[in-house]
Amino acid sequence: MGKYIAKRFAYMALVFLIVSFLMYSLYNLIPSDPARAELEGMKQTLKPDEYEQMYQDLRARMGLDDPLVIRYARWMGLWPDVEDQGFNGLLQGNFGYSNFFKNNVIEVIKSPMSNTIFINIFSTIAALGITIPLGIYCAVHKGKKIDSSVQVVTMVGYSMPIYIIALIFMFFFCVFWRIFPISGTKTAGAIYANDWEEFVDMFRHICLPVIVMTFASLGGMTRYVRSAMIDALSMDYIRTARAKGLKEKVVIYSHAWRNALLPIVTSIIGWFISIFSGSVIIENTFSLNGMGSLYWTGLNNLDFELVLAIQMFYTIVALLGSLIMDISYGLVDPRVRVDK
Amino acid sequence: MKKLLSLLLAVAMLLSVSAAFAESAEKGTIIYGSTTEIGGDFAPGAWWTNNATDNMIRNLTNDYAVTVTDQGGAYVVNPTVCADLSSVVNPDGSKTFTVKINEGLVYNNGDAITAKDFVWPMVFSCSSVATEVGAKLTGYMTYVGGQDFYDGAAAAVSGIRLIDDYTYSITIVADKIPYFFDMGYVSDMPFSIKYWLGDAVELKDDGEGAYIAGLTKDAVSAQLEYARFNAGEDRVSAGPYNLVEFDKAALQATFTINQNYAGNFEGQKPSIEKIVVVRAEDATWADAIKTGAFNFYDTITDGAQVNTALDIIEAGGFDYVEFDRPGYGMLNFQCDFGPTQFEAVRKAVALLLDRNEFANTFCLGWGGVVNGPYGTGLWQAQEAEEWLEVTLNTYSYDPALAAEILTQDGWIYNADGSEWTEGNVRHKKVTAVEAGDYVHNVTLADGTILMPLIIEWSSSENNSVSELLNVMLAQSEATKATGMVINQNVMTFTELINYYYRDGSQGEKYLVPTYGMFNLATNFTPAYDMSYEWTQDPDLVAQGYNLNRLYNDSLDALSMNMVYGTESTDPETYMAYWKAYIMLWNDILPQIPLYSNVYITMYPDWLEGYEQDSFWDFNQAILYATVAE
Repeated sequence: MGKYIAKRFAYMALVFLIVSFLMYSLYNLIPSDPARAELEGMKQTLKPDEYEQMYQDLRARMGLDDPLVIRYARWMGLWPDVEDQGFNGLLQGNFGYSNFFKNNVIEVIKSPMSNTIFINIFSTIAALGITIPLGIYCAVHKGKKIDSSVQVVTMVGYSMPIYIIALIFMFFFCVFWRIFPISGTKTAGAIYANDWEEFVDMFRHICLPVIVMTFASLGGMTRYVRSAMIDALSMDYIRTARAKGLKEKVVIYSHAWRNALLPIVTSIIGWFISIFSGSVIIENTFSLNGMGSLYWTGLNNLDFELVLAIQMFYTIVALLGSLIMDISYGLVDPRVRVDK
Repeated sequence: MKKLLSLLLAVAMLLSVSAAFAESAEKGTIIYGSTTEIGGDFAPGAWWTNNATDNMIRNLTNDYAVTVTDQGGAYVVNPTVCADLSSVVNPDGSKTFTVKINEGLVYNNGDAITAKDFVWPMVFSCSSVATEVGAKLTGYMTYVGGQDFYDGAAAAVSGIRLIDDYTYSITIVADKIPYFFDMGYVSDMPFSIKYWLGDAVELKDDGEGAYIAGLTKDAVSAQLEYARFNAGEDRVSAGPYNLVEFDKAALQATFTINQNYAGNFEGQKPSIEKIVVVRAEDATWADAIKTGAFNFYDTITDGAQVNTALDIIEAGGFDYVEFDRPGYGMLNFQCDFGPTQFEAVRKAVALLLDRNEFANTFCLGWGGVVNGPYGTGLWQAQEAEEWLEVTLNTYSYDPALAAEILTQDGWIYNADGSEWTEGNVRHKKVTAVEAGDYVHNVTLADGTILMPLIIEWSSSENNSVSELLNVMLAQSEATKATGMVINQNVMTFTELINYYYRDGSQGEKYLVPTYGMFNLATNFTPAYDMSYEWTQDPDLVAQGYNLNRLYNDSLDALSMNMVYGTESTDPETYMAYWKAYIMLWNDILPQIPLYSNVYITMYPDWLEGYEQDSFWDFNQAILYATVAE
């Protein structure tokens, strides 16, 4: 197993390098001039020769006149930095510098990342907590009224764009019934007596986004679990188990569910990996400061180092996730060997 | 299942109870909804970033500039700060300003404000350390001796002198004098050197000029980094409000009154106790304001949003103030190739568009039209209001006149050289120089070059102005009947800008003059300075000046003389140049102003005395507002 994991890590490093180069090249294909964008606001206050001097200095400092490969190597930390001539890139733990926020990327993503994880943990747990039992229930009661009703509701939820769901929920829960705050993660100007009060206030603010995200994800997983369970329940070993006189609960949860888990585990692990990634639509609709919103801001402002850092982070998470997924197959089903 | 439903119902009930605690802004607290999220960089001026909301926050927390702009945008000396301001032009053409500040001013933490607090930021702006830490400061280009200090050739900035604890002087380099807005050179604010640069450095003047002893990147970068992003009781500032909290996770900033604040240039102090800045979204702002998520929405620009705001105001609880945009949306021509190089064509385009109808449709009644490069909120425009009305050509919608002007200019041929007939594209006989490499040119058998009246228009994607322009101008029957073709080319804004700048560094194709018309927008500042905008120097044009590529000696001279040929004490001469410039611009028409919005700001109805204007922003206007009894 150790050898297998080491081999996978070597592959992951190679894939990471290829992806990083492709991503870096793609963003550099976009015709934009960061130095010009940086100085545009100052143009009216500078005389032409002053502007030109600053522009050329800035291009040199940003290393914009170097070939693409050199810029990539510098960004990765394989080529000396323009200013201090040291190696100071991604491989050295420097995620880059945000041109929009004028701060280190690592500082910029701290708060959005913690917000995103906080929200996604709740929505993932809630979604899995509802969809798995519901999917199993529907599979066991296949063709009954409750199953048909759930199929209709999940189909509607699955088909409706999340921003429509968000706006409808917002209208009812925030404007009509006034149950939840409409946006943000904190009551404006609130002063908290203790951390618990702060947590409760934040929880109240994220309730609706979590409900919307959960509702929007019910359809897919419920139908997936239902389908896997229906397949498992139709197997001969289930008939054998029932013939042995085992209790129905044991048949469903120990025999059918265990066997249905293999295809489902891919989705479940995928969901947990997505805890790190924000939703552009949900975060912007509810004014949440999360990774999706930050990513959108970065793209809109051509802040490529920020965007690249976020994408590289997701690349690492996805690669690790795929490794965990492969290993988990072996854990879920001992027949699957992952060390070959 | 029943258990699950019961649990969900119980949670819903619990949350319903908690709804009692839902936001309801208390009277006296402004909750300011901002669609531009707070970046969190609160460094002075725009040393690093220029985010609009960060700027507003800086301006709420920093004040005491020696000179400021008043409600109309004109520079005035700030008597709260300045005891005396004198200036003298030196024999070498440079100009020295000597400033004596009032004693008794203090920061929010009670520390005294002295001349050193005004001087060190200027010296820092001349230092290469500022560049090393990534700050965009250009003071070394402004002060005498600044460049030598920046280059390391001098140990002090000779043009910045610390005279005594409350007096300092600055000398501006000769090539920036005379300058009509030279009062802007002394609009410096005080900042605590201890807070911004730390204890390791000290401002000194040994008789040769001012310098900061111990200034190195290593000595100051950590403190600068901390000071930029810090909010809380240890933040040292001297404005009307203290930034007491910035919640990075919620992107929410909270301000309370600075009790040590001595007042603005009119001695005005704030009375609104608390301001909270929160994030607002374009899609949900109306519901957010209805439900109390915020109660102040600044500068609503879109006509549809203005109408929504008025509906909310009508329902009660809010009031509003309206003011003119200090700028406009426009059609911008490149005038060195293709049909748009001809004045007649630009005028014909103007005459083929019903601009009043356009502005009315686009702004939904919340906008108007200007006829020159100005906004109605500019003090210059207000001073010359009557003159502007009677002097400028309004280019009212008149397709017949457009056709006549084109005919007079020689656009009288069909593509085969025969006389133009309706239903065809007009052509004009042009010289080889005029023809250039314009792709649509036709060369007849006898060598005659005909240029067709086909305008290639670059418009940005997802732009409602472009969509309306396409309907009202490019696709209009009047345009077609006149024999003009306007081809809309939709592209990203970045792509549009590259073509507009002809930026070869982004690709060879951008160097080729391709589009003659762009739809863009602009805003003006009170310091109306158009110098170099019409330069004919090819190097400057290549650098991005005179993007219209309109080479007109008179326009260039007027724009330069308006500011660099006029003493700041001579507003009559400035206005004479300004009027001549506007009149000439209106005649040769390098741009067509399309619409100038009317903005509104909505605020809670318990707020009294709130008067915002084009150049009088929230941070200035809020000082005069009070809570209704």
